[in-house]
Amino acid sequence: MDLLIQIIFGLLSALVIGAAMMVVTVRNVIHAALWLIASFFGVAALYLLLEAEFIAVVQVLVYVGAISILILFAIMLTRSNEGDRLLTKYWWASALIALGLFGVAFLPTFTGTTWNMPQPTGPAGTPEVLSGVEELGRGFVSEFVLHFEIAGVLLTVALIGAIVIAFEERSRRRRVLTLAEELELRKRRQAAESVD
Amino acid sequence: MTRAIPLEAVLVVAAALFCIGLFGALSRRNLIGVLMGIELMLNSANINLVAFWRYLEPRFITGPTFAIFVITVAAAEAAVGLAMIIAIYRSWNTVNADSVDSLKG
Amino acid sequence: MYDVINHLINTVFGLGWPSWAISLIAYLLVATILFLVAPFQMLFLTYFERRAIAQMQDRIGPNRVGPQGLFQPVADGVKMFTKEDIVPDAADKWVHLIGPCVVVAPTMFMFAVLPWGPGMVPLDMNIGLLFFFAISSVSAVGLMASGWASNNKFALLGAMRAVAQMVSYEIPAVLSLLAIVLVTGSLSIVDLIHQQAGLFISSADVPGIPDLGLGWFVFTPVGFLAFIAFFIAALAEGERTPFDIPEADSEIVAGYMTEYSGMKFGLFYLAQYVLNFLLCAITAIIFFGGWQGPGVGWLYAQAITPTNPDGNGLFNVLAGMLGVFYFLAKTYFFFFVMVWVRGAYARLRIDQLMDFGWKFLIPLTLVNVISAAIWVGLTKWGAAEGLAFVEGWAPLMRWGVAFVITLLLNIAAYIFLARVYSQAQDERARLDNEVLERLTNVA
Repeated sequence: MDLLIQIIFGLLSALVIGAAMMVVTVRNVIHAALWLIASFFGVAALYLLLEAEFIAVVQVLVYVGAISILILFAIMLTRSNEGDRLLTKYWWASALIALGLFGVAFLPTFTGTTWNMPQPTGPAGTPEVLSGVEELGRGFVSEFVLHFEIAGVLLTVALIGAIVIAFEERSRRRRVLTLAEELELRKRRQAAESVD
Repeated sequence: MTRAIPLEAVLVVAAALFCIGLFGALSRRNLIGVLMGIELMLNSANINLVAFWRYLEPRFITGPTFAIFVITVAAAEAAVGLAMIIAIYRSWNTVNADSVDSLKG
Repeated sequence: MYDVINHLINTVFGLGWPSWAISLIAYLLVATILFLVAPFQMLFLTYFERRAIAQMQDRIGPNRVGPQGLFQPVADGVKMFTKEDIVPDAADKWVHLIGPCVVVAPTMFMFAVLPWGPGMVPLDMNIGLLFFFAISSVSAVGLMASGWASNNKFALLGAMRAVAQMVSYEIPAVLSLLAIVLVTGSLSIVDLIHQQAGLFISSADVPGIPDLGLGWFVFTPVGFLAFIAFFIAALAEGERTPFDIPEADSEIVAGYMTEYSGMKFGLFYLAQYVLNFLLCAITAIIFFGGWQGPGVGWLYAQAITPTNPDGNGLFNVLAGMLGVFYFLAKTYFFFFVMVWVRGAYARLRIDQLMDFGWKFLIPLTLVNVISAAIWVGLTKWGAAEGLAFVEGWAPLMRWGVAFVITLLLNIAAYIFLARVYSQAQDERARLDNEVLERLTNVA
């Protein structure tokens, strides 16, 4: 059982990291978005492995079902003319920063941890008590009620803000007339001429 | 899960994801690419929150609650960010971060 | 399934395999069965739809291959397999291939939490309902990918329309489910069905009701409004007429499927019909009790269950058969309603579709959530939650008061919203006219 979990964890980590690498290096933005979705899926599966079912489902619902769709829409509404360069001029500096940060986080962990030590989580044999979706729901209306409401306000603000920012006035929009409108227009022109 | 994989392994995966996201956010020219990098970073933070909850405090709901708030913030950020990208595209006709430079002295 | 495999391997053959291996085998077996069921559903539903729509249009429909044309879908499938698979030169090869796969995969995933009969559920997740809808939203990614990869204007337009429609109608669907979840207090699909025992009144609300398996949620005002809203949203999600804008043949060829041929096209078809089946099934489960029906509850009480280990195995089979019969009968009835709607209504325009979803259905379902909260307060709460005055009433009385109040609230909301909506439509037509006049300088 442990071996199975380790194999699954390894595969999922490889998926998450590999897909994330593709996101930042692949040239085509649509491909990058699709890799991003793959990475989101991997993270959702990691949550399932961590026995956080609700978070996993929310991850799929929000990230895969909503955010990535938004990103795809935005890509299709904007034409990217990146030209020949994918990355900024000083990309090596950011690569150094990212690598350095990873080194700072990774090296102490790598040297300071006794790997493969089972974590003591209570006496063996007794099933662990995990807080599930019901406790989460109760928490949202008792302990975290203020945070919950702030999150609601934040979402409302974001909704209104996004509409206001991206809104294009109706009159400014370039409008192509439909066939029915063309006909209507012709009819009206004829009517106007006949009045003259 | 908790017996088979040490907490540090999960944290290392999250750290790697964070650094990749950071690299993407700092170095991609396309604004949408930058946003994707930020999403990756938020995801890695979420992995950390859930992992700490699972390994250290599985009885309390603070970890998943925080993860859900992070997801909420990510959704709000994506909506506003993409709206701004579309607005920028309308007035500059480009989505490259280094072409939007009218504040340059 | 786990128990059966465990018995077979460890007791009969005495191999002593570990439990995870047996779980793996059991799940693989169940998954295989479900993967076989899905295409058969699709085959039957295409035949059913073609025959039914033919009857409505005063035609005969496919009746040549096999008795009454029953093997027509098989012949179509063979044709689909043997057709050449054409990938356009300008297409993005890999994304073009991945698109249909990503569209099909979620529909298969959704079978994982679908209960077929009493005790017959592949996986009883405690967040099954949420899982179902989270996974269903994934196929939008596949549509988008395939529309974009085809490198064709019609395909891209169709994909944009499909995704916009799916994303917008997910909100009323989930909101109407939220009302039901509020009433049941559970996200598990199995729990949801168990609470629909009773006779017109759910036995979860009034304990003494005789159990005929008819305590469906559709008999309450909250459930009825949720059912109407959900079914409309399901029509939009399954891209059925009057919401089949994404693949409107007369406008944009075939939408995102334009550049697909052979088996990839078949995969889109498979995904669509399986999704329709699943949407009908989930409608039947959530609002019409799934496998609940007269007799199933009684049969299942005699059967071997975790709570009743010394029951009779024969009753398991009987209850299962009757339950599956009820479930499939309801599901096919809803699919028939879908075909019926297709025969009766014309296609909507995309802006009408968006207006209807955002400006009418979403507010209506929001009001319905409030109704559901009132329902829960009146039927389930007591002094502990701050509603001491309902404590003294009899359960039937509480149920009646809740019924009347929510009914009045829902009807009022419907009338109000319908009036506002029609006024807004008139206003919009007037504005459109003004813009047209300004654009053309003709008064």
